[in-house]
Amino acid sequence: MVEAVDDKLILEIDGKEVRVPFGTLILDAAKEVDVTIPTFCYQARLSGIGSCRMCIVEIEGQKKLQPACITPVMDGMKIATNSETVVSARRSMLEFLLSNHAKDCPVCDKAGECELQDMVYSHGQRKSKFEEKKISLHVKDYIISPVIIKNSNRCVQCVRCVRVCREVVGRGVLGSVGRGAYQEETSFRKGELDCDSCGMCIEVCPVGCFMRLPYRYKARPWDLKSAISVCPYCATGCKTTLQERDGEVVRSIAFKGLGFNDWLMCARGRFGYDILNSDKRLTKPLRKKGDGFEEISWSEAMGMISAEFAKTSPEKRGGVATASLPNEELFFFQKLMREAMGTPNLDSTSRWSGDTAGAYMAATAINEGGRTIYKAVNSDTVFVLGTQLSEENPVIDYIVRHVTDSGRSNLVIVSPRAMKLDATAHQSLRHTPGELAKFLNALILCLYEGDAGGLASLEEVGLSSKVSIAELAKLAGVTVDELRQLSMRLKRSETISILAGTDILKLDQGARGLRLLKLALEAMGKRLRILPILDRANQRGAWGMGVHPSLGPGFSPLSDDEKGLDCYGMLEAAAAGEMDLMYVIGEDIAGMYPDRAFAEDALSKVGFLIVQETFMTDTALKADLILPGALAGEKTGTFTNQVGRVQNLAPIQSPPGGARIDLDIMGDIASTVSKGFMDDGCTDIFGCIQKVVPSYLNIDNKSTGKDCGSVISTDVSLEAFFNVAESPGAVPTEEYPLRLITGNHLFYSGNLSSYSDILGSLLKEPVAEVGPETAKALGLEDGQNINVASEGYLDSFRLKISKGTPAGVVFIAENYEDKPINRFFKRGETIPLVKITS
Amino acid sequence: MLSDCAKEKIKKIYGNYSDLHSVSMTAMQIVQREIGHLTKEDLIEIAEMLDMKPIELDEIGGFYTMYNVERPVGKYHVQVCENLPCALVGAEHIITVIERHLKIKVGETTADKRYTLSRVQCLGSCGTAPMMQVNEEFYEDLTERNVIEILDGFE
Ligand code: SF4
Ligand code: SF4
Ligand code: SF4
Ligand code: FES
Ligand code: FES
Repeated sequence: MVEAVDDKLILEIDGKEVRVPFGTLILDAAKEVDVTIPTFCYQARLSGIGSCRMCIVEIEGQKKLQPACITPVMDGMKIATNSETVVSARRSMLEFLLSNHAKDCPVCDKAGECELQDMVYSHGQRKSKFEEKKISLHVKDYIISPVIIKNSNRCVQCVRCVRVCREVVGRGVLGSVGRGAYQEETSFRKGELDCDSCGMCIEVCPVGCFMRLPYRYKARPWDLKSAISVCPYCATGCKTTLQERDGEVVRSIAFKGLGFNDWLMCARGRFGYDILNSDKRLTKPLRKKGDGFEEISWSEAMGMISAEFAKTSPEKRGGVATASLPNEELFFFQKLMREAMGTPNLDSTSRWSGDTAGAYMAATAINEGGRTIYKAVNSDTVFVLGTQLSEENPVIDYIVRHVTDSGRSNLVIVSPRAMKLDATAHQSLRHTPGELAKFLNALILCLYEGDAGGLASLEEVGLSSKVSIAELAKLAGVTVDELRQLSMRLKRSETISILAGTDILKLDQGARGLRLLKLALEAMGKRLRILPILDRANQRGAWGMGVHPSLGPGFSPLSDDEKGLDCYGMLEAAAAGEMDLMYVIGEDIAGMYPDRAFAEDALSKVGFLIVQETFMTDTALKADLILPGALAGEKTGTFTNQVGRVQNLAPIQSPPGGARIDLDIMGDIASTVSKGFMDDGCTDIFGCIQKVVPSYLNIDNKSTGKDCGSVISTDVSLEAFFNVAESPGAVPTEEYPLRLITGNHLFYSGNLSSYSDILGSLLKEPVAEVGPETAKALGLEDGQNINVASEGYLDSFRLKISKGTPAGVVFIAENYEDKPINRFFKRGETIPLVKITS
Repeated sequence: MLSDCAKEKIKKIYGNYSDLHSVSMTAMQIVQREIGHLTKEDLIEIAEMLDMKPIELDEIGGFYTMYNVERPVGKYHVQVCENLPCALVGAEHIITVIERHLKIKVGETTADKRYTLSRVQCLGSCGTAPMMQVNEEFYEDLTERNVIEILDGFE
């Protein structure tokens, strides 16, 4: 063990003095003094293999040249990165790399942005000594996934693809097969991949071996127009560069150094861009006519709104705007609802109640300002709670894996079913779906075992210690030993990061427990960071902008008579015939509300339903008036990601046909329903936001491409504002012995992604997932067809057996187009009970 | 498909290794002994047993010349070392002699499925070069004459 690393080593690189800590690589030390060493196989975040020898340097006193990417510095080293020997050796290395390279740049998709081309251009030579016949690993390019096509004859064997799939993505489905010049980086027996389809292997390949199939022969880099925007599919907020050629968006790509995600993205972000080109987009305002719709003009549409609005009364109006709109639009939306339409009824989701959202915000202390994800997860223990992180927020899964694998953190996962990240975790606990609250209660009791005083003060703030640890553990489906082990880990940690996901919201469980856990750990002197892990791109922004029935902009709690109905409340009012007008933007209520039959019935009873959408959703089908809106790639504005980082969107194209930017539509509606409303309206919406939402004061929304900054803490207190009774978990019956849980599929998020043809091609068929015990008990085999039935609904699926998912649990993703999972739900239910028959 | 016997044999040696992954090479050898080569399905099943990814076994099989992944071989798998020490004392000539005698090229199998000829990398017997391995036996200090005698000597 090497002790303190505070003392810096002093060395010289190309005559410049550098001081760096022990353990620094020569490559990184050189960067400190702006000396760039060319690299090839090296890739930050991946293990060093030092195989290509592009980065060789000369060290005084050492005969052999050394690879800078894996050689740590030593005190007093004198290093030359550009001496004659180095330059000529580098040239030879490139000659070797080219000796078996196909050199077919004219037909290679990578040409123009190929690292080998660039490298040979700047460091190579024109002629080669090699006259031998080149080895050919295959004749034609071959397809290994709906998104990947492969040409191994261009491979330089840097093994980045294999490493990224193993070390970052955690899938490990690629390998280096064969040896020497015959080594080929590919899939198992060159067959079709069953993987995350994240495309990370494509992104890291320096040459044209791993290529995007949907982008094949579509463009050269110099033909492309780019816009730096943000992925719309989850609240991780990966920065992406959208690129188009001749009016077609052909690529979404993550560039190194842009955004916190660098080159990290998941399948949705990298391949879900084609919704922008979809021919299913809505392009004209539509008025209900009989069973169908007829096209009308925008002025007719506004005329309709004006006439219908006059017939309604304020308390019978309401609106829902999805949390995938930018802050500017959401802020304006709540202004429009509250001030122009005069109604307090508004929400940003149809998937959970306003109070549950409030309790979650309080528990995660969302008003306490933003964080940097890398710092935030860099703690003694990372505790994943209430989220299927690997599927819901894949890039956070990559980041956590990286931090854990580098040995800096303990990783603990508490979830109702298996996930990819389990393989990296130090402890994975499976609790009974819907019993997170009991689990947390038991955990706190464990932490305070033997500390009656501490326990008493927690009881004062709401902890219940009546039920024993053993009893709670049993109800939560874990063992006392598991709990004790976890509690030991937490006790031994000084810093703890809790990644708290949307199960807490969707299943209406655990928010209180999380708040108590926070108090409990803080009382023990732990430094705690709670990170909300959310699935809609701008959920945090939506709450901050005040799109919530009980919170104004800036999380300011409203008084009782200012409060309005949440989406749940609006639907109930509608079902009772008490909703005159609803304005829904981008939220597929019928597709997402947990009880589809009820939602559809309620929506059809709304006096006048305006749905502003980009696609014909099930909710749009119920509308009296449909207004065609815009997608994230067509707008400016900002998203606030789950950890509070604000980032700019930039448009790559204009909305298609007669579709319009949502903000403009809202502006017109505001003037229609309230004459003169827009006259004193502000033109600089972000400025208006900053006036009432102090946490955005330091944000610079003009900084294009770069970061706009992180939200800062506001001193409102959400504590105790939301006092919710959490939903009790369902208890299986003899007839319906299984608990059904649902959530986002790895390739999908919400309903928007289901309009992407590329993502659609990745999904084989709708599957229902159970653990091996359940399968065995029911006598079912992997891959067979089954029926899943709840009391009110039955549908068929293919069975998938997934190791690590506990007995008695079924999982079905919520995003299959023809399998409306919310039909399994009855209103008020969070975990439907089902049975499986073959 | 792994035979029950192969599965049993593999399970029996678990204890000899510190972790399951380390069992992989021997496990592949056990399975290969049965029919002389490994099928794709074999690799998938071994991977399942050892909690590995099939591609990891593919990598092993592709690196070591002793594994025949999806490559059926004859009853006698003649593997001639082609590395430098062997090459210096006539390995290439030995290969030509075998090719001519068996009437096959390197990589091929005789029509009666008795012999398959392969080039392999150093087998660690450089002191007795040139050499070859037939199935699991070494034959060393090869000459034009004795190599034919050896080959003809097999039943
Ligand atoms: S797409 Fe992702 S998971 Fe699939 S092989 Fe490439 S890196 Fe691995
Ligand atoms: S396929 Fe690409 S990333 Fe993989 S080893 Fe070859 S050149 Fe490197
Ligand atoms: S879906 Fe989420 S994790 Fe995936 S690229 Fe988009 S923002 Fe990143
Ligand atoms: S970059 Fe250093 S050896 Fe490849
Ligand atoms: S080189 Fe042939 S056995 Fe070593």
